[in-house]
Parts: sequence; C-alpha cells; structure tokens
Amino acid sequence: MRLQFVLTEVLNGLRRNLSMVVSVILVTFVSLTFVGAAALMQTQVDKLKGDWYDLVEVSVFLCPDGSTAPTCAEGEATEEQIAELEQVIDTELSTVVEQTYFESKADAFGAFTELYPDGYQGTQLTADDMQASFRLKLVDPEQYQVVDDVLEGRAGVEVVEDQRAVFEPLFVALGRASMLAAGLAGVMLLAAVLLITTTIRLSAVSRRRETGIMRLVGASNLFVQLPFMLEGAIAALIGALLAVGGLWLAVQYLVLDWLQDAVDWVAYVDVGDVLAVAPLLIGIAVLLAVVSSVVTLNRYTRV
Amino acid sequence: MIRFENVSKVYARGARPALDDVSVDVSRGEFVFLVGASGSGKSTFLRLVLREERPTGGRVYVAGRDLSRLSSWKVPSLRRSIGVVFQDFRLLPNKTVHENVAFALQVIGKPRHTISTTVPEVLEMVGLDGKEKRMPHELSGGEQQRVAIARAFVNRPQILLADEPTGNLDPTTSLGIMRLLDRINRTGTTVVMATHDDEIVNEMRKRVVELSTGSVVRDEIDAVYGHRESILPAVGQTPVLDAPGRDAPAVVHRVQVTPEPADLEAERAAEAAAARAAESGDQQPAAALPAAPAVEDRPVDQRPVAQAPVEPVGPPAADRVPEPGSPDDVVQQVLREHERVRAGREA
Repeated sequence: MRLQFVLTEVLNGLRRNLSMVVSVILVTFVSLTFVGAAALMQTQVDKLKGDWYDLVEVSVFLCPDGSTAPTCAEGEATEEQIAELEQVIDTELSTVVEQTYFESKADAFGAFTELYPDGYQGTQLTADDMQASFRLKLVDPEQYQVVDDVLEGRAGVEVVEDQRAVFEPLFVALGRASMLAAGLAGVMLLAAVLLITTTIRLSAVSRRRETGIMRLVGASNLFVQLPFMLEGAIAALIGALLAVGGLWLAVQYLVLDWLQDAVDWVAYVDVGDVLAVAPLLIGIAVLLAVVSSVVTLNRYTRV
Repeated sequence: MIRFENVSKVYARGARPALDDVSVDVSRGEFVFLVGASGSGKSTFLRLVLREERPTGGRVYVAGRDLSRLSSWKVPSLRRSIGVVFQDFRLLPNKTVHENVAFALQVIGKPRHTISTTVPEVLEMVGLDGKEKRMPHELSGGEQQRVAIARAFVNRPQILLADEPTGNLDPTTSLGIMRLLDRINRTGTTVVMATHDDEIVNEMRKRVVELSTGSVVRDEIDAVYGHRESILPAVGQTPVLDAPGRDAPAVVHRVQVTPEPADLEAERAAEAAAARAAESGDQQPAAALPAAPAVEDRPVDQRPVAQAPVEPVGPPAADRVPEPGSPDDVVQQVLREHERVRAGREA
C-alpha cells in the first residue's frame, strides 16, 4: 500500500514537471559524462604509464671521443672509469636500480644496424661512431632523479638521460585534458545541484495542498518528503545511466573501433573501465539528489 | 482532552500577543464554540492544539500529551488523533470524493482493506453515499464540506477541530453541517469549532469560549453567541455582510438563498444513515456533556450576554431526534428552523 502509493505520487510528480525533469536528466547526464571522461582519461594515463614505464630505462651515456662535455675532458671513457661507475651503481644505487646492462659500442652498433641495415640517411657508420652506455632498469621509474644525482657529473659520464622524458609531453597533455574535463564537470555539477534544487522546490510548491493535508492528518515527515526525494533521485539516476551509456558508446566506437585500429600498440581504456567508473557516477548522482532534496525539503515541507 | 495552562503566543518580538495567558480546559466529548473577532486568537488556539505553533509561554496538553515537550517526530502521531476542517474545505481538486477521503488514510500507511471498508462507511455517515466518484468541483459547497468532514473523521480522531466550517456556506447548508458535527460529537469525539456564525451558536446551545485580543473574556456552558456588535468590529452599515456596525439598524437584511437540492439530498442521506445506525444499535447514546468548569473572567453583567439578540427557540438542536424513515421531514424541519431563527432575529 505505502510503496504503491509513494510510487504513484512519484510518477505523478515526474509527469507534472516533465520539462524540468528532462532538464535535470540532461544536466546530470552532461556533467557526469564529463566526470566520467576525466576519470577515464586518468585511467588511460595510468595504463600508458604502467605499460611504458615497464619498458623505459635510464641511459647513462659514457663519454665518446671528442665530446665537449666538461666531464669528458680526458677523452673517451676508460676501462677504469667504467668499472668505477659499475661499482657505484652496484653500491650506492643498489636499492633503486633493478637491473644493469652495459651496452658497449659494438652492442650499440649491432642494435643500430638492425634498425637501419642500409645506414642512416645514406651515411655508413662504424662501431666507433656509436656510444657506450649503461642501461639502468629502475625499480620505480619515478626515481630517475636519484640516479641523475649520483651519476651526473662523474668522470666518464657524458649525460644521464631518462627515457620517460620522451613520453612526458603526452602525459602532460592527457593530464591537462582530464583536468579540463574535471573542471567542466565541477561547473556542470553545480548547475545540476541548483537545477535539482529548483525542480524539487517547484514540485513541492505545486503540491503544497497535498503536503499540507498530509501533515494535518499526521503523515510522517519521511512519508511527506520521500516522493520528492525519489523524484530527484530518479531523474539524477537516469542522467547517470545515460552518462554511463554515453561513455560506453564513446569508448566502444571512438577508442576500441577507431583509435585501436589506427594505433594498435597502445593499451586503451575498454568497456571494463567504463563499468568500473559507473558506480562512481551513479553514486555522485544519488549524492547530488539527496543533498539537494534534504536542503530544499527542510525548508518547504517541514512539519 | 485539551488543556491550556496560562498559554501565551507572541508571533513577532514586541508585537501584541496573539494569545495572552489563556487557560481553557476542554473535557472528552465536549462541544465547544470558539468565538471572537478576526484576530482575537481563535486560529492561533487551533494551531497550538495541532502543534503547528509552539506556545511562547504556558503549557498545552492535548489527548494526554504535553505539547511543549513533544518532540517533533511525535507530532504526526498527535495529529492522527485530531481531525481538522477548514472554511475553504481544502480538498484535492484532482481526486474524487472517495480518493480525497482515502488519501488521509493512505498517507498514514493504513492497509488497503481498511481503507476500502472505512471510506464508504464515513461517506455514508456524512450523506455522500453514491457520490464517491464525483470530483470536488462537481459538488456544492455543502457537499464539499461534508467530504472535508469525512476526511477529517475517517481515522476516528479523538478531537475534531473546525475553523469556521460554515463560513462559506449559506445558513441552511450550515445547519446541515452543524447537525453532522453534532452527530460526530455524539460518538464521543471532542469538537472545537471556531466560528462567527451567531445563528448557529445560539441554536446549538453548547459551551462558548469567547476570545478578545488574545484573552478569554467569557467561558459559559449552554451559551449563546453574545452581542454580535460587541464581538465583531464595527464596520458601518453593510447590509450584505454578516457584521453590521454598532449604529446599524436592528434589522439586518441577510442574503437569503434557497439551498442547493444536492445539499438537501446529502442532508437527507446523512440523517437516514444516522437513523439506520441508531436502529442497529450501532451508535453510542448521546454523550452527556460533562460539566465543564465555567471560567467567568468577568461578572456576567458586564457582558451583554443577557441581551442576546435571538430568543432561544424550541429545544436545542442537539436534542432533536431524527424521525427514522421520514428523511423528508428532517429537511422540512431544517427549513422550518431556519425560518424560525430568522424570524427571531428580526423580531
């Protein structure tokens, strides 16, 4: 009885304020899409980092012949210098470095010819044109700075290079895009809160007669307010579901069907990630509705 | 049932109190008229009983509860023991008669089978049997008020508050409504009715509590409305309005109307229902009004009560027994009484 009555009231309320309800749904939809997009972009960044940071290394390039770097004043790195560096890496950097690999000039040339069997831009190179280096695989790729502090400026080291730097611009761009989306989401969420508040207020005012009688005959506070709360919650929930649907479509068609075909060596966000974001979006929607109803209803339907 | 102990109510700081040190005790089963000019505190009195307002000072006890200590989540349960009727009916325009009455039970979570048995019963009692499917706008004012009373009474409250229930109705229809309230009173329900209708008060001969600028100036059992001109403010000569000025001629030309056939029909039906109930022994015997303490705030001679403008005619309305089986007689009787009252006024 109670449930059926409340649901009837909710349906009537939704029907009576249809245009407002639709606008609540749309605003929630758009704002939560932005929230979801920001979350997915963050997931994408994390995925890329996870994938690529496994591959990246810190390269410690040793002085070649004729380098102008101050640490290379004595010419090409000597055997002693290399041994000493190896010693330093083993002792001072033992906690940071997971794996050390020394790439001699010959190794470097081998890798080079594999990449460019016909020479580079028409120039035939020899092993002497290559540069010897230590390739350090770090336990945590973010700790590049420690390695740099220890090794940079030592005799025989020309330059310490972090391969992460190559990816950094991409991550910065993705990070900024997700910040932008989050910012827009914030503005839209504010609009959604205001709109839900207004809608509930409108609904409460247009049903003042009913609520007045309900209060007089002794309906409990919850019973008076529940239909309004449910109205807001249902509208917000529909908005959230639309947002999840929209994100799913975007991921399916834009990322998986199109982007993955074009650039297939990158791990992309997938439908599973959208589903992981969905509870967050629905949670935000319900929270929005509850907060706005509580604020509004206390003012308009108090016993 | 309702006890006010030195109750004061001030709405805005520094303003004149709406109620000023009011002490009134209404016993179970009593019928009390609350009279006084607009702004004398009648509505505040009713709002305090409903705990729509809290008193600024003093104590209000309703149905055994101390309202000043009643926490707000217990207010709904208090209100379930009180029925309220208003001058403007306050029906829901988009619901039928049946739905309007059922609404009051639905929102307090009564089970469906209770609703489906109680609502027709109460509709029969008020004389609207067969009009369950009508919308409020299809009913006359008197019928609408009957729906409102049915809604207020459907949960069998201990107390029925009526705020000028006849204010929008013509005299004959009002009389019908009063008979209904009287009948409800006889089931043991305490009735408190705020009114400006001297005709009704004089005829019913019940307890009268008169308020003036927030104070009780008169509390008498078996009383009359009092001197109209001293209760209602002077408004000059207004033959159409109910409230003539002090210097207006004694004869007041009231607007006379023929009651709506539908109202008469409802009245007939209600009387018939009451008669049936009486026959089946369902109805409780008319509750003897407990002797309420008559709080005389002033000596009687200072009040113009003795010079009531209306001669009490015949037995009090409450003593009339409807003749079973001849509802037409009842309507005729209502009309005759109406005539008699008017004749008395003009005498």
